[in-house]
Amino acid sequence: MTRILCVAEKPAIAKAVAQHLSGGAFQTNNITGNRYVKNYSFDFNFGSTWGHCNVTMTSVLGHLTELEFAREYKSWLSCPPGALFEAPVHEAVSSDKTAIARNIQQQARQSQALFIWTDCDREGEHIGTEIRKQAKEGNARILVKRARFSNTERAHVLNAARSLMELDDLQANAVAARIELDLRIGAAFTRLLTLQLKPLSSALEDTIVSYGSCQFPTLGFVVDRYLRVKNFKPETFWGIKVMLQREGIKVNFLWKRVHLFDRAVVTIMLERCLLAKLARVTKVNQKPTSKWRPLPLTTVDLQMMGSRFLRMDSQTIMKVAEALYTKGFISYPRTETDQFDKAIDLKKLVEKQFPDQNWGQYARDLLDGGFRTPRAGRHNDQAHPPIHPVCWVSPSALSADEKKVYEFVVRRFLACCSEDAKGQSTEIEIEYGNETFHAKGLLVLERNYLDVYVYDKWESSQQLPNFQLGEQFEPTEAKIFDGKTTAPNYLTEPELIALMDANGIGTDATMAEHIAKIKDRHYVAVNTRGGGRNAVKELIPTQLGIALVEGYDNVFAGMPNNPSLSKPFLRKEMETRMREICAGSRVRQEVVQESLDMYREYFVHTNRRISALKDAIRKYLPN
Amino acid sequence: MTTPQSQIAAQLHTTKALPVSPTWLNSFVSSTTALQRNVPISALTQTALFRILASDIRDSLHTNNPSALLPADIVDPSVQERRLPGPVPVQVLDIEDIGTSLWSQVEAIERVERGEAIRGREIVRAVNVGGGGGGGEEDEEAEGGGNPGPAASENESHGPHRLIVQDAAGTRAVAVELKRVQGISVAKLAIGAKLVIRNATVARGMILLAPDCMTLLGGKIESMDHAWKEGRKARLLARITEMPGGDQSG
Repeated sequence: MTRILCVAEKPAIAKAVAQHLSGGAFQTNNITGNRYVKNYSFDFNFGSTWGHCNVTMTSVLGHLTELEFAREYKSWLSCPPGALFEAPVHEAVSSDKTAIARNIQQQARQSQALFIWTDCDREGEHIGTEIRKQAKEGNARILVKRARFSNTERAHVLNAARSLMELDDLQANAVAARIELDLRIGAAFTRLLTLQLKPLSSALEDTIVSYGSCQFPTLGFVVDRYLRVKNFKPETFWGIKVMLQREGIKVNFLWKRVHLFDRAVVTIMLERCLLAKLARVTKVNQKPTSKWRPLPLTTVDLQMMGSRFLRMDSQTIMKVAEALYTKGFISYPRTETDQFDKAIDLKKLVEKQFPDQNWGQYARDLLDGGFRTPRAGRHNDQAHPPIHPVCWVSPSALSADEKKVYEFVVRRFLACCSEDAKGQSTEIEIEYGNETFHAKGLLVLERNYLDVYVYDKWESSQQLPNFQLGEQFEPTEAKIFDGKTTAPNYLTEPELIALMDANGIGTDATMAEHIAKIKDRHYVAVNTRGGGRNAVKELIPTQLGIALVEGYDNVFAGMPNNPSLSKPFLRKEMETRMREICAGSRVRQEVVQESLDMYREYFVHTNRRISALKDAIRKYLPN
Repeated sequence: MTTPQSQIAAQLHTTKALPVSPTWLNSFVSSTTALQRNVPISALTQTALFRILASDIRDSLHTNNPSALLPADIVDPSVQERRLPGPVPVQVLDIEDIGTSLWSQVEAIERVERGEAIRGREIVRAVNVGGGGGGGEEDEEAEGGGNPGPAASENESHGPHRLIVQDAAGTRAVAVELKRVQGISVAKLAIGAKLVIRNATVARGMILLAPDCMTLLGGKIESMDHAWKEGRKARLLARITEMPGGDQSG
């Protein structure tokens, strides 16, 4: 019988896949030297080419290898930090992963083929090449295939096992390029900063002043907002308010200009309204309106909505979602896709939610005629469907956090499959003097998806009395009001994620890590504004965080194209190049060289103007 | 027999409502005809118009027709309403966006200084930065007329705008853009630009501008415009600190 080696990215996935392929009948063997990784053996029929096979399913624990500098460059004082842009690097199995690598080599020796079951994303593709390398060392002639799957639901896994494909080396190359750039650029700048800045303040004694090409722009966003809040100057504005009492209802008309910052002008405008005496109705617009159901769920959306509605930070949400995926309850939580493939049986997924106490009835109603094909967004990463529940799970089987995230994913999915909420909007526009005012009313007629998607709010407003087009009336009251502009709020995590997403900082998979990193490094602190249900967590930079951004901005002040490392531009260019590698339009070596040349130039510049950074540190971190 | 001077003066008067000063016109004609002969009058008129738009109208227009001037007491706030039949040619001395807070105007200027523009949530690097100092004109040209390009919306002031205008005799008045007028914006309207006001309402000393009571001729007075742009941020900041309670930070 043909012997096949299968390798997954994590032990839990290996076990889940083994369970499905074997139908539950598998043998578990420990491997020497690692407590977490197990080998599961069983028989399985892979279909046409492979037929009935003897299978060993095992896993790695994420990346097997690390990129590192040659020994003579490892110590911090071994070389000038700038030398790290060229220093030789090599890939080596991480010291804590040697047992796993050995296991793969041994298993490969007895196998005709290797099937890779790493997660289907860029990192997974790269981990796949690391596994392939170890397997080939054990057995140079081993055949290599890849299983493409996006959740661990049984039918999906069986299908993936019978339609194997090739590893995507382009994606793996993009990751390899990113790893090399992050290592060289990160190490060079971190050593420079730490060595130069540490002696300046006792507050830096036990810290590493790290630099990361994503970390810094992320910090930049936080500092930027902080400075906007801090520098803000309130100003007075004035506006005109018109009120009409009719049919026992006080109708407030809002000024089309909202408000202006010149009192004299507003006074004259009001006087001209009063001179005109009568207001004339210029628009009566009554039309059906709807509030659209949400788009299918992506990772970025999960993180943003999650931190807004579930009160969890994005990193926790991703960890929980990862656990739910590993246990087979939801699909792969790292995806950019916001459109469902036509092939996926959505009704079946809805049906799986029938047993639930809270939304089971809603799911049943959907299949009794309420079901609508979800809206399709514009993104498709061609790897994973939008995040959706794979099966129903009893709340008692979940932790408190898991329950929240699972509930959100299910409600979102059911909302996607529902009808938009329907209502009727009324808009009245009047002309009074030279000014235009309007009043709006909303009547919600059918709540539809809102019944299950409790996170969206859409409520009927006060109802407007009747108005006829062209009719004239004398307003009950018209007067000036004033107010003051208020400072923006400090940045919240969902806003930060949105900014990172829009500016191409990190991928949906890594954003949460970058945010966690700048918290870990004490560049930003988390502060809670408000209390109770309205509490909002805000990100506020520390003195060190502000000093670094200001220092860098000063280092690069006056250079063309504003290349400050606290701005998103450089990193964005790098992400674009990664995508070009994936698409096959650029090759890895060329991209690495080009990016290194660019960053080396900025490194030299930073080194030359290091005094600007030192000044900033001295300014904010007095000794 | 009609002189070139009188022909040009008549044309500019009928087509643009500009009463050109004879002294200015004489020196213009003598300086140009000395260089180019046999130039058709229409082309010469165009050149004259172009020069007037770039000039200070206190030099280039004459002041002997009171209906082409602002009333001397125009700023009187006790007059609730009066009509200004005109046509009165004026030049712009100041423009201000009163629909936007001073502080957000300062922030917008600083973004441009840093070479950034904002497109939705995305911060984009503005093109053509770091070239010559202060000259925003090229960018405007590139954005062309009316295409709602991303950077344009950021640099466009929302209005309404409050202008200070001046007539040929030097009388100043405040004008407010009561209805949106194409071409009036902080980025597009230069200091020294000319406009002709006719049949406008003046309320409490302010001229109320709308598309149907003015014609925008354009132009600018280079030196004034340059100084105005250079000093704009400092003026905005000064006004912020002057505001009651403006010195308390936070």
